[in-house]
Amino acid sequence: MLNRLKEKKGLLIALAIITVVCGLMLKERYLALVLCFVCINIIAVTGLDILFGYTGQVSFGHAGYYAIGSYTSALLTLRLNLPPALAVIIAGFVSMLFGVIIAFPAAKLVKHFLSLLTIAFGQMVYIFIAVTVPLTNGTSGIVGIPHISIFGYTFSTNQSNFFLLLGVVILVFIAKKRIVDSRVGRAFIAIRENPHAANGMGINVRYYKILAFAVSAFLTGIAGALYAHLMGFISPDTFTASQSTLFMTMLLFGGIGSLVGPAIGSAILVATTELMQSFVSYQMLIYAIFILIVLFYLPNGVVGIIESLKESSRKQHTDKAVNNA
Amino acid sequence: MLVQLMIGALMIGSVYGLVGLGYGMIYKASGLMTLAQGDMLMIGAFLGLTFYKYLHLPFVVSLVFTMIIMFSLGLFIERVLVTTLLERGAQTVYIILCTISVAMVLQNIAMFAWGTNVKQFPPLFKKTTVDIFGYSVVPENLLALGVGIFCMLALHFFMTKSKFGTSMRAAAQDELAASSLGINVPLTKGASWGIASMLAGGIGVVVGPIFGVYLSMGALIGQKAFAGAVVGGYGNMYGAIVGGIFFGFIETLISAFVTVTYKDFISFAVLIIVMIIMPTGLFKEQVMDD
Repeated sequence: MLNRLKEKKGLLIALAIITVVCGLMLKERYLALVLCFVCINIIAVTGLDILFGYTGQVSFGHAGYYAIGSYTSALLTLRLNLPPALAVIIAGFVSMLFGVIIAFPAAKLVKHFLSLLTIAFGQMVYIFIAVTVPLTNGTSGIVGIPHISIFGYTFSTNQSNFFLLLGVVILVFIAKKRIVDSRVGRAFIAIRENPHAANGMGINVRYYKILAFAVSAFLTGIAGALYAHLMGFISPDTFTASQSTLFMTMLLFGGIGSLVGPAIGSAILVATTELMQSFVSYQMLIYAIFILIVLFYLPNGVVGIIESLKESSRKQHTDKAVNNA
Repeated sequence: MLVQLMIGALMIGSVYGLVGLGYGMIYKASGLMTLAQGDMLMIGAFLGLTFYKYLHLPFVVSLVFTMIIMFSLGLFIERVLVTTLLERGAQTVYIILCTISVAMVLQNIAMFAWGTNVKQFPPLFKKTTVDIFGYSVVPENLLALGVGIFCMLALHFFMTKSKFGTSMRAAAQDELAASSLGINVPLTKGASWGIASMLAGGIGVVVGPIFGVYLSMGALIGQKAFAGAVVGGYGNMYGAIVGGIFFGFIETLISAFVTVTYKDFISFAVLIIVMIIMPTGLFKEQVMDD
């Protein structure tokens, strides 16, 4: 037991630091909002990770699912007076439906064309919400989206919303861990490594690719819906192509194919964005620099660095043991 | 009315076609994809504006200067960024991301250098319209069409008749065989990226007087050019042109007779439908994963 604790020492210390930092940040309204953004991005990027990190399918159109989730949930609560908590879940399924629709042709295409197809999808969603004024109120956006309430308790402050979102993030993490460790997760990874070999092993490549799209779109749609209910206001500006690139950057910066990668990536990129609030015009440049850093210096993201650090410390340990003997 | 529409459609179609040609050339030469073509067009337009409006050079000279600068920029991106990434064993997705970040950097540079406002080109011609067979046409449109056709023909003859063009095609077909015959394959790859951004930049200078010059002018054109390249058959030079003109006509006809608000939506929908039912494009290029 103690040995296992020792092994997990790094993780425990990290958790303790995160808890303290979050606790301090929760004191202020604005900082609590930043934490909420981090949580929402973690959910969305986790969705992208299942698609890209585990199945190896690119998507540069995830802002589309994010938008579908947001607008579906907002419209369901405002037009049909559904309770927001229910609307969020329905929004997730609607987004999932679109994921499946896109996945049918996408599962056949190679990387370049998949990128283009997903870009085209993202653009179509963006154009649709920007010009369909009767439904989405066009570029002026939708205002007055109610906060989520469960069992009569309304999550109206940023602090309470943070705990709600944290709960969702933990649920998403558990779900992702269970998917990844299951037969489905192994099929995903096999497809990423070599689709032909996976096919030869009796894995239905097309089915699992579509499944990955569905799960991914569901999670990103949920994230979008939560965003709508957190902010109370959505407009097409949030759902441009650069949002898709931002999700991709977060994922790659954190590290693909891992549980904590999306969390690290989201936290660092959201924090940077908020710190650079006074240099809004440099924002794109900062993202570009992040991408270039990842491409040239961190091919496996921050998680990759942590892994290699662990590896080297383990080596030192074994070296010491050998020397002592 | 119909004739003006047709000329407009041909004009915007040849713009898409030329920008899309760049995608095809890069794909053929190196099997890679760029997403920076749209912003190359934007940078080209700003450079042309600077040469023509602020430095008072003649239009043709501005165009040539811009194309030279854009060629070097494309060469630089391939030689310095893309090759380094490939040597480190990067996947194709990483190259796409690299070009996206290049596009972002270009946008930022343009923003610092020229600002966020829409800049107008001073009029190129004294007349606002010219008469052709009794129809009045905006001369800038004719210029864009003319430059487009000229570039296409020049590129066609360069690729088929000149020695370097032939070696570029040879290198695209089989790198190993080409390099064993003494063809400088890295140079041909770099040149194809250079030509791609040169075409985009040159077209930028030509469409600048029509649409005005602003930061996001390239985004939609770049994506529709890509759509055209796919519809024509990705990697095929002539396919890109045909596909580009196809999208020019679709867009013009839809906005003239059906709906203006949804024209871009429909263009992308057409692209997705084509990718579903006919992924090899009109010119039957290989796109599937096998």
